Amino acid sequence: MVDAIATVGAKVQTASRVSWVSASWTLFTLTLRQHLHGQRWLVVGLLFLLPAGIALLVRATAPNVPPLALEFLLVMMFVPQALLPLAALLYASGIIQDEQEEQTITYLLLRPIPKWAIYGVKLLAAMTTTAVLVVAFVALTYLAIYANADVSYGEVAIRYCQAASIQALAVATYCSVFGLMSLLTKRILVIGILYTAIVEGLFANLPFGIRLLTVIYYTRLIAYRSMSFEVTRRRGGTEDLAAVAWQLDWTSAAKQAEHPQLSTSIFLLVVASMVCAVLGGWLCMQREFHVKTPENN
Amino acid sequence: MTAVVSFQGVSKWYGNVIGINKLTLAVPAGVTGLLGPNGAGKSTLLQLATGQLRPSQGLVKVLGEAVWNNAALNCRIGLCPEQDAFYEWMTGWDFVLTCARLSGLPRKEAREATARTVAAVGMIQHKDRAIRGYSKGMRQRIKLAQALVHEPDVLFLDEPLTGTDPVARRDLMDIIQRLGSEGKSVLVSSHVLHEVQSLTPNIVLLSRGRLVAEGNVRQIRELIDEHPHQIVLHAEECRKLAARLLTWDDVEGVRVLEGEQGLMVETRKPDAFYGRLPALYLEEGLTISAVYSDDDNLEAVFKYLVRK
Amino acid sequence: MPIFDQGYQHWSGRLAGHTWRWLAITRHGLRAAFAGRTIRLVLLLAWIPVLLLAAMLTVWGLIERNSELIQAMLPFLGFLDPAILAGPRPYRIPIWTLSYSIFMSAELWFAMVLVLLVGPNLISQDLRYHALPLYFSRPLRRIDYVLGKLGVIVVVLSSVTIVPAILAYFLGLAFSLDLSILRDTFGILLASIAYGLLIAVSAGLLMLALSSLSRNSRYVALMGVGLWIVSSAVAGALDAADREERMHRARGAMRSEESFSESAEDLAAAKRDWRPLISYTENLQRVGRHLLGTDAAWNLLSKLRPAEERALFMMRFRGPQFPWYWSAGVLAALLVLSASILKFTIKSLDRLK
Repeated sequence: MVDAIATVGAKVQTASRVSWVSASWTLFTLTLRQHLHGQRWLVVGLLFLLPAGIALLVRATAPNVPPLALEFLLVMMFVPQALLPLAALLYASGIIQDEQEEQTITYLLLRPIPKWAIYGVKLLAAMTTTAVLVVAFVALTYLAIYANADVSYGEVAIRYCQAASIQALAVATYCSVFGLMSLLTKRILVIGILYTAIVEGLFANLPFGIRLLTVIYYTRLIAYRSMSFEVTRRRGGTEDLAAVAWQLDWTSAAKQAEHPQLSTSIFLLVVASMVCAVLGGWLCMQREFHVKTPENN
Repeated sequence: MTAVVSFQGVSKWYGNVIGINKLTLAVPAGVTGLLGPNGAGKSTLLQLATGQLRPSQGLVKVLGEAVWNNAALNCRIGLCPEQDAFYEWMTGWDFVLTCARLSGLPRKEAREATARTVAAVGMIQHKDRAIRGYSKGMRQRIKLAQALVHEPDVLFLDEPLTGTDPVARRDLMDIIQRLGSEGKSVLVSSHVLHEVQSLTPNIVLLSRGRLVAEGNVRQIRELIDEHPHQIVLHAEECRKLAARLLTWDDVEGVRVLEGEQGLMVETRKPDAFYGRLPALYLEEGLTISAVYSDDDNLEAVFKYLVRK
Repeated sequence: MPIFDQGYQHWSGRLAGHTWRWLAITRHGLRAAFAGRTIRLVLLLAWIPVLLLAAMLTVWGLIERNSELIQAMLPFLGFLDPAILAGPRPYRIPIWTLSYSIFMSAELWFAMVLVLLVGPNLISQDLRYHALPLYFSRPLRRIDYVLGKLGVIVVVLSSVTIVPAILAYFLGLAFSLDLSILRDTFGILLASIAYGLLIAVSAGLLMLALSSLSRNSRYVALMGVGLWIVSSAVAGALDAADREERMHRARGAMRSEESFSESAEDLAAAKRDWRPLISYTENLQRVGRHLLGTDAAWNLLSKLRPAEERALFMMRFRGPQFPWYWSAGVLAALLVLSASILKFTIKSLDRLK
């Protein structure tokens, strides 16, 4: 063995051999493997199966519910309000805290990857995981809602693509927000839940300007401006489910103009996401991550 | 001599707790032992030197570059951390390979480096087992492997021998000594004094966040003049010799060793003491078969300095 | 001189009984819990409803005594029907009941937040740092350990439910100066205490079970959140789908609240509706409403409304109508499940591997 050690150190480390991109890609795949490892994956999978399960249950017990109403209820209400924040909270809050709690962060800090890049790459991995979850399980939900229903599957496929894209954008934004919060507080879960309940739950449902500060408002606007949620009633006439549920006054062109346009909403979510990510990276650069040494307080 | 690691007036506070207190230190190339009791600031020093912590005051440099937020420097630094933490679900091979890739080595070179390093730490036969099933010795070896895999110029080892069996300890010490002989700079912290002593005569001694001593163990010992030196004399007529020695002013105490094989003498003036010894035989016929100092070892230095 | 063995020596004194050994664990857990600023802040916020309850009971005492102070407060008492202000005595029980009911509803929300703050660390950290042998190498049984940990949650939750309920009760008594109030309302106090204990024990044991399932306290808290929020969201989604179904079945014009009248069929359907059972907090609330007699209180107050508004009034304020023992059954099943999980996950020293 001692002979073998002779070769260690024989090679000279040169800067040209070090690939920053390669290191970042390894960190990205390492984070994805962490996400996939263990029973957490099973719990999250079960959680995301809920909308599909509810859809099947409702179709079995309440056959008169129009599929579009069920789609709105599950894909546009249940998923963005309950599942997306939870999934984002689970993965984004652990970007640094998990590594710190497990004391494995040392192995990352000792590599030629700047701290902001460690955060950025791990945030990207969290976004990827949650987006894949959303895309996969929303597809299952659509399948559960529309299988054997009297609808055009082409239209359903288009609606699915729209919904999945919107949800993926929303969950990515939530990841950025919660990632940033996790660098500011150790009580990220409780703070995150309070944020979800008060800001994304309460404020977003108030027909006032304060909802402009919520992620879910823009998500809803993107959905509302790109998809239709008008249900035809048996008694005749149609009902706009989204306008009622989301407190969107769409009765006149002037009222509609009060809400941001589709492109503006997408732009704002992307910018908010990037601002939070940059802030998070900057905070990481400033911070020390204590392992086996006392925190400053 | 060029300092590989330098601390210039470095202090580190954790709120009201002080981890390192106005430390100015230059660690030369080669193997250096970092010693100190629990809470002395060894881990803080190593975390400052590897850029994990930002000094509250002062500047830390490694290989002439400031370390805080200097990720590029990490290509030339390796750390074997104290904590027994791993990605437990990985195999040993996978862990070392991942660390090599995280260090920026291209795929092929990372594999080759992993193979070399895993062999070097004697883990080839266990490389495909999950780390969670490793013994303490195996964990220490694989932890050392991740620090070596990118072939750093400076290696920081935080308690690398903790919990290892004698065989693993011997192997790890061989690796460290070989690295030193190959021109690598290694800073090893340890509580096991005799092991550090057998690794290197160069030590840095910390206590309560302050630098207490640095340099060669023997040189340090010589500087501690105010503390009595303990000198062992082997003689046949122990008690007679003891009575004679007690008449000397610079002898502070004499103790007869077990079995009356010799004496333990305490003196503050060892050179004068050694100078007068031949006269005992020549003038009084007292035979002394052996003379040696009992406290040129690290244990004694450690005790003297930390106790103050 | 005797030479003593320097190794392990048996304690030769007398050991205290098992009865209160768990208290040491509770004390330590409480010290750790109250060291956190967030918990202290939430506790402080949780006492805002307590102040409102105390204010309501105090004001009611003054109303019953027809105190002159009430005249100055009249502009703030618009939520009370004039008939109540004119003759308050017959409405004593419903007003006290509803005050406690609303108070406990608010505190249930805070209790869930506090359980999420205090509970996840309790066992998961012991598992993470392999601290269980430290407990079980002492004369502690598993039940002592679980009781000690549960005690932490029970004390914290009681401090925002049971303790303030008792304090507010005596404050209300002090301002009424009528001993008959003791006879009329003592049951409400007992019901509040029972409801508070139910919340603390049920949520506490559930959180302990979750805490014993993972070494990562964040995941434990997320599982708790999932049970609390997702179960309510699922119940809400199913309820919304049911409303959609009924609306579609009705075929007629959409019924507005103004023209609302509840048919016997609707009422019967509401009594068979199992959907709210999916929500954990709804089950707690259903049992709480039964204990406090909230529906009967609303029913009494609804009689002050014109006949055509009564159904709407009841629809607004009463909760789900399914039998309370369904919820009690769900909570009992969760208790058994939690206890079983704890039994399998908390191993005594001899069974540690």
